[in-house]
Amino acid sequence: MPQPQQANVRNRLLRAMAPEDFARLQPHLETMAVQMREPMIAPDRPVEELFFVESGIVSITTGHDESRIEVGMVGREGLVGAAPVLLHADRTPHLHFVQVSGEVLSIGREPFCDAVEASAALRRLLLRYVHTVMIQAAQTAHAHAALGLEGRLARWLLMCHDRVDGDELTLTHEFLSMMLGVQRAGVTLTLQNLEGAGRIRAKRRRIEVLDREKLRALTNGSYGVPEAEYARLIEGR
Amino acid sequence: MPRYFFHLRHGPGPDGLARDPEGDDLTGPAEVRARALAVARDLIVRTRLHAVPDWFACAFEVTDAQGRPVMTVPFSDTVTEDDEA
Repeated sequence: MPQPQQANVRNRLLRAMAPEDFARLQPHLETMAVQMREPMIAPDRPVEELFFVESGIVSITTGHDESRIEVGMVGREGLVGAAPVLLHADRTPHLHFVQVSGEVLSIGREPFCDAVEASAALRRLLLRYVHTVMIQAAQTAHAHAALGLEGRLARWLLMCHDRVDGDELTLTHEFLSMMLGVQRAGVTLTLQNLEGAGRIRAKRRRIEVLDREKLRALTNGSYGVPEAEYARLIEGR
Repeated sequence: MPRYFFHLRHGPGPDGLARDPEGDDLTGPAEVRARALAVARDLIVRTRLHAVPDWFACAFEVTDAQGRPVMTVPFSDTVTEDDEA
């Protein structure tokens, strides 16, 4: 497969970086298809590969099995593994797994670190990205403490919608209940209410986003903060 | 194992029932009741939902895979269960 070109990649970090920085990474990038539930980074193991997401969504979760809760969501705006590697932590206690199947560009830790060592501009861009990841986790903590389930679910649907093509999200209530750390019956009831208010259309294993502004109104300002930081710091908007 | 569906009754009429589209595989009625009570307890203790001002007014209406009623478990049963045990 030919090496990806900067003009053709969908990952927003790769698109935002200087052409000479993209050129440092390019020879080491490998296109990979990833499937739902596939682990990308295992907890407490050295991170040997990083992944620029081209399509699909990767979830970062804390806890074990029954108590697992999502603390981060990475789509085409992001780089899976950025925080532990750029902050020289070598590993992370959090599981990173594929939530929506898609495509990633993988790169080995060593060539990635060599490129970052060689370019202050690249390091700056990627550290700014890590900042937005931290803001996203903080906003998630805020949402858990400050919002009812309606607001948290609305925020989650908006974040998911930002990262897929089209308006339809393929997910089960069971999966949503795991991500939000709540009983499935609570998710089912809340989806029914969101649907009644014309914000979404819920079908079996699928949710269609109908009205983003109405969803956003439920989030009480907890959606949009990391997104705005990303636009400001990474894309200069 | 048979599959049971835990529909959540939170108000009157068809709009007051959140239908469970996915269900759970459980061994039988004893496990169904235990699951309903465990889920109800967790909802009461941890879940804030503006649409449900009072979890104790809710109930699980459980059906089997053919849609036949299996049992109704009011959330208020979570309070008495410990005394019975």
